[in-house]
Amino acid sequence: MAYTELQVTSNFSFLRGGSHPEELVKQAAALGYRAIAITDRNSLAGIVRGHIAAKKYGIRLIPACRLDLMDGPSLLAYPTNKAAYGNLCTLLTKGNFRAEKGQCLLYKQDLYDHCEGLRFILVPPETLTPTFELDSKFKQQAAAYREVLGSAMYVGATRTYRGDDSKKLFRLHQLAQQLDRPVVALGDVYYHVPGRRELQDTLTCIREKCTIHSAGFRLHQNAERHLKPIDEMQRLFRQYPDAIVRTQEIAEACLFSLNELEYVYPHELTSGGRTPQQELVHLTWKGAEEKFDGAVPDNVRDTIAMELAFIEKKNYASYFLTVYDYVRFARDRGILCQGRGSAANSVVCYCLGITSVNPAKFKLLFARFMSDARDEPPDIDVDFEHERREEVIQYIYEKYGRNRAAIVATVTQVRAKGALRDIGKAMGLSLDAVGRLSATISSHWDDHIEMERLAEQGFNPADPHLQKVMALAQQYIGFPRQLGQHTGGFVITQGNLHELCPLLNARMEDRTCLEWNKDDLEALGFLKVDVLGLGMLTCIRKAFDLVKTHYGRDLTLASINQHDDPNVYQMISHADTLGVFQIESRAQMSMLPRLRPHQFYDLVIEVAIVRPGPIQGDMVHPYLRRRNKEEPIDYPSAEIKDILERTLGVPLFQEQAMEIAIVAAKFLPQEADELRRSMATFKAKGEVNRFKEKMVNGMVKRGYTTDFANRVFRQIQGFGSYGFPESHAASFALLVYVSSWLKYHYPDVFAAALLNSQPMGFYQPAQIVIDARKHGVTVMPVDVNHSCWDHTLEGKFGERHALRLGFRQVKGLNEEDIQALIAGRADGYREITDLCHTGVQQATLEKLADADVFRSMGLDRRQAMWEIAAVHDRPVALFSGQSSESAAEGQIQLPLMTPGEHVLQDYASTSLSLKAHPVHIIREKLDLLHVVPTGKLSTMQDGMPVKVCGMVTIRQRPGTAKGVLFVTIEDETGFANLVLWDQVFQTFRREILQSRLLMVTGKLQVEGEVIHVVVTRCFNMNGLLHQLKSTKDDEPTQVFHKGRNFK
Amino acid sequence: MSKRFAAIWFRHLTTDWLTIRQPELQGRPFVIAAPQHGRMVISAASPAAEVQGINAGMVVADARASVPHLQVIDGRPGLPDKLLKALGRWCIRYTPMVAIDPPDGLILDISGCTHLWDGEPAYHKTVATQLGSKGYQVRMAIADTIGTAWAVARFGKTADIVKNGGQLEVLSSLPPAALRLLPHILQRLDKLGLRTIGSFMGMPASALRRRFGDGLLLRLRQALGHEAEYLQPLQPIAPYEERLPCLEPIRTATGIGIAVQRLLEALCKRLAGEGKGLRAATLAGYRIDGKTVQATIGTNRATANAGHLFRLFALKIPQIEPALGIELFVLQATKVEATAPGQEALWDGTQGLEDTALAELLDRLTGKNSSCTVNRYLPDEHYWPERSIKRATAIDDPTTTAWRNDRPRPTRLLAKPEPVDVSAPIPDYPPMVFRYKGVVHQVKKADGPERIERPWWVDTGEHRDYYYVEDEQGQRYWLFRSGHYGDDRPQQWFIHGFFA
Repeated sequence: MAYTELQVTSNFSFLRGGSHPEELVKQAAALGYRAIAITDRNSLAGIVRGHIAAKKYGIRLIPACRLDLMDGPSLLAYPTNKAAYGNLCTLLTKGNFRAEKGQCLLYKQDLYDHCEGLRFILVPPETLTPTFELDSKFKQQAAAYREVLGSAMYVGATRTYRGDDSKKLFRLHQLAQQLDRPVVALGDVYYHVPGRRELQDTLTCIREKCTIHSAGFRLHQNAERHLKPIDEMQRLFRQYPDAIVRTQEIAEACLFSLNELEYVYPHELTSGGRTPQQELVHLTWKGAEEKFDGAVPDNVRDTIAMELAFIEKKNYASYFLTVYDYVRFARDRGILCQGRGSAANSVVCYCLGITSVNPAKFKLLFARFMSDARDEPPDIDVDFEHERREEVIQYIYEKYGRNRAAIVATVTQVRAKGALRDIGKAMGLSLDAVGRLSATISSHWDDHIEMERLAEQGFNPADPHLQKVMALAQQYIGFPRQLGQHTGGFVITQGNLHELCPLLNARMEDRTCLEWNKDDLEALGFLKVDVLGLGMLTCIRKAFDLVKTHYGRDLTLASINQHDDPNVYQMISHADTLGVFQIESRAQMSMLPRLRPHQFYDLVIEVAIVRPGPIQGDMVHPYLRRRNKEEPIDYPSAEIKDILERTLGVPLFQEQAMEIAIVAAKFLPQEADELRRSMATFKAKGEVNRFKEKMVNGMVKRGYTTDFANRVFRQIQGFGSYGFPESHAASFALLVYVSSWLKYHYPDVFAAALLNSQPMGFYQPAQIVIDARKHGVTVMPVDVNHSCWDHTLEGKFGERHALRLGFRQVKGLNEEDIQALIAGRADGYREITDLCHTGVQQATLEKLADADVFRSMGLDRRQAMWEIAAVHDRPVALFSGQSSESAAEGQIQLPLMTPGEHVLQDYASTSLSLKAHPVHIIREKLDLLHVVPTGKLSTMQDGMPVKVCGMVTIRQRPGTAKGVLFVTIEDETGFANLVLWDQVFQTFRREILQSRLLMVTGKLQVEGEVIHVVVTRCFNMNGLLHQLKSTKDDEPTQVFHKGRNFK
Repeated sequence: MSKRFAAIWFRHLTTDWLTIRQPELQGRPFVIAAPQHGRMVISAASPAAEVQGINAGMVVADARASVPHLQVIDGRPGLPDKLLKALGRWCIRYTPMVAIDPPDGLILDISGCTHLWDGEPAYHKTVATQLGSKGYQVRMAIADTIGTAWAVARFGKTADIVKNGGQLEVLSSLPPAALRLLPHILQRLDKLGLRTIGSFMGMPASALRRRFGDGLLLRLRQALGHEAEYLQPLQPIAPYEERLPCLEPIRTATGIGIAVQRLLEALCKRLAGEGKGLRAATLAGYRIDGKTVQATIGTNRATANAGHLFRLFALKIPQIEPALGIELFVLQATKVEATAPGQEALWDGTQGLEDTALAELLDRLTGKNSSCTVNRYLPDEHYWPERSIKRATAIDDPTTTAWRNDRPRPTRLLAKPEPVDVSAPIPDYPPMVFRYKGVVHQVKKADGPERIERPWWVDTGEHRDYYYVEDEQGQRYWLFRSGHYGDDRPQQWFIHGFFA
């Protein structure tokens, strides 16, 4: 007599279930179950994972759901076929749309509207009344359900050792007889093994916001909510054996499987009665003619034909058309976009305008990634200007309708820090202790708990209560916490999407989401398209607009990428790349003079090389040596040569590592992919080791050295978390080139566009402005009579326009106020009172005075402030024109501001100063301390002891550099790059973290153009900043940016 | 005679107080922090922490980043005020007019007081030294006006005693913050470069008023003494205490009784007037031989019923040793609670816990014999039977949770389960027969099992399977088996309670 468990709550009923769907399915298989249902509360979010696991362990998953209704007892619902499943999804979607995110409001009537084809089990009440009866209201409602649902309804019964099990079973049996429906046995499972009870209790505490000590009856009274062996279930229901038999009846009626779900592309992608493939062929050739001006080279022709044939074979035409559709929309609207991903850098995509990377410029990538063997859908992500991405998203919603397009969910997982905090709180630790506990986790993507650090924080690691907390937190890590929305993944279908998966409201307005994440969708063969936002595209578009207005030139991504400009590469080689996409970070900048890129493909490598993968795999230095011809280029074998030739025998890209696994270790393509994925998720530690053994052994067997094999494996490990494939690198390299080109040819335009796109990138406006001035751009201050909201270009000084800072740089202003002010400007303001007539608030005027924008009226900030402070009693309306008291006021001499004070105020109000660099003002004091200006460092010898001092701009402590801290400081002459070993950092921790102005002593390290100061001692010189001010009662250091910290 | 004021500034009020209570904190960097918008924000930093750059207003996480061993102590809301009030009351010995000046100061009106200490310098020294020896870092200044004394205490760089009429001279070199101005006015002054009071003191009043409002002028005039400022003196709080000095030493029980009665009447009258009742009281008798005798009573319910309280004391009177005689009685109410206003009885017959007669009976029972304990139990939200009840502290303790009636629990629960011999079929069927204290009970009816797991966060061990059984006499028992059947060890059965 078989039994199927039909009531299982997984951890996708957030803070209720104590086990992953995978664990439940695995345990069910181990106990000899042939099928199991997962019934989360008003959600199907966990069933795909259960489904995948069930396939793996050879049992069947019944997709199902527990419906918690607002006006009736709960029911378990099981679809018998695809239509019924669609009904269930529609029902849940209805409930989701009604509520805030994370809730689902369902009523009996909704259930009745969508009950076709579903089987239902009535969830029994937890307890009987004190007179051992079923609640009369429950009985009434059961009868009401029976009337509508008829023979699709069953009465559920559980035995959970609550003492009244026999009585309850008897009453439920009675009820079932009255309703003339059978009783079904349920296990009411919350976790796969009894040992999870502790975690499940703790989750209850987190949910109920109480501690374990005060949770009381909110917990379960025993550990009986685990999956039980089949014979145990039979024993428990020995008095009602029919209840066990009925589980099979339901299991056999509900044969619907998620495999039956089919993804259908939307139809409206084609025109003129063409099939998708015909349409794609048509568009591609049309595009090719335009791109190559009617003279398509033969080799390009061949490639297009080959690619199209491949797409036809795989039946991916519709996918390309979907992407083409919204890219075209963006182009029509003038929104810049750029595709990336394995299929994006194909000639077809170039012809369709999805990417602007000219495929003629380097080896074609398409065929390599879309091989037959790897049967996975193509992957095209499209980046749009981040400020205008929403337009594209709304276009997709509008075109396909909300019932056919939705954003993919991301399942937010519990991380170590959060797990410790939640569990600690639930276990009754004080807030302070919880804070110290989570401080033991070094970074937020570090997912293991370090017991050694406990003692450091003043805990006793031997304390059993604490050990319990740690053990529970360890189990809790990786639990789904909530459904978020993916940054831009869309699923678009022909039919109603809400029949495939329940939809829900996203937290952002006007967004709807699926319940499944991208892995779930991929497992079911659904295709998603990515609509992402990228700040640099915004910046480039703004730059294009400015070039058109001020220089009358029309630019596009593709037109700039047409030819390689040696001057641009020279600029890049000198690491003069502040503000440029991707290669502006410290690590990238120090790599550039070593790599000396001189063609487009070098940029592709540059983008990919400074990444955790190649760094952890120790690939960077061999590559540099080979490139500089300091080391011979050799290949372990001929098959490897094919893969690695373009990167001089060193694997740098994710695809190369995968290909090596396939070619050299004879991995199946799916295996290689599985390997990469298993590393991306943190949990499957054992799995990774299994792969490692297989790969290293496989390679050694085929004649490779263990060293090489280990190195490739380490690299795959690095890629796992931050995959960087060649195709992505190529797309990014395009933006690198375009932004460098703009910076070289139009430094004024580039600076203005960059400032107008803030916040983005590594640098603060102050540094962007300094860099612009260094490149000969005249920068003019914000002025009430000249500035706009945005930064603008004006006049012409020689070759260049001057950059006029805009009001957006002034802190605390509101754009509307400023627009009113600009509108009322006419032929300029001459008096403060003129400004008042535009209706600008006094508070706004004060902020303007702080920013010192009244210079064109002959007022410095202090005089302006004195005037503005009195404007509120100016004569208005009836009295306007009369002389006011303030007008009659005698002149008062205010104390003059020192240059230091002005600079300080400039920084306080606009985060930068054009008057002077703060370090310049205290230079005399620094000279007394024998501090070297950073500009002089390049004239000094390698190995010399130096002392430098500057404002801290960036602190970076990459996870890949073994605790080394990189700090950038800035003075009026330039930058200095500091390197601090962990030991030094620990010693001078406070100085480093608190200093705005930092002085260090150390040794100069010169390596070509790359100059570092290896620090031995640090000094907090914040005190010197006090010199900027005439009195000492304030904290002027607060004014300066404290420096940005990067990982 | 012109007025003189002293301002006292406690630089580290709360941290000093903590250091006094926990001397091990001396010289250590620590901060007091309280949650604010979900972040822990420092409300006070110890001197050692300030040296390391930690100041009030910082976020704890930031402070920790720079001083990893920083100790963080949870702040109590309202603590500074409480401390100031206590310190203020202590200062009443130096002048009757003491006012608190939150968040960290006191103002003393010392007009006409200083000559008792031989002039202002000595007075200043005494007060400052006394407070300092308590463990507080203080700064104290004396001047003609509250404003100037306040300013000098906090910002003064020279002498702490400002001579008569010397305000103008002292103030002009101090920063505007010394004038107790609102932050936005200070900010505006700063922006205009007006960094000392002197830099704007001489400007026309109209120009100042237009830009900074009346507040600035008021404060300036107050500090200079052109406008009067008043103190709100701290009222001493009278304790619930009655004293009865006797003309002649009392040596008899009757005498003591009379004294107690007089004291109780006076105390209860006052309590009743304030809507309060007494929960505990101590009678102290000061004997002529210099010793003190004491008697203490407690009640289950706050009461101001002198008759009842007297009966409670009457039980104690025999234990009071008058020896050569008692010359002073002091009755002190050590624990006082608010009472619900007494309802005039419309009908007699209030019952249960509301009946004051019951409470009074319990008081007498426990008062008579200290070994007799009467406990009241309340339900507690725990499954584990031993933890499912808790002892109430007072007769009118409210229940936090209702008694559960959805599953049977015995009326008498054994404090400790007692082992019984049982024969029961495995695996989890109810017993058929059990022997308790040598008597064999045949089980006629049974229900169960109810499986109750141990609270794993408290202890570890076997769960219990409880059964409700009825023997042939119709008596019902609560039995349980510890742990699962089937292991090698014999099954252990216990009896844990009796049903009525």
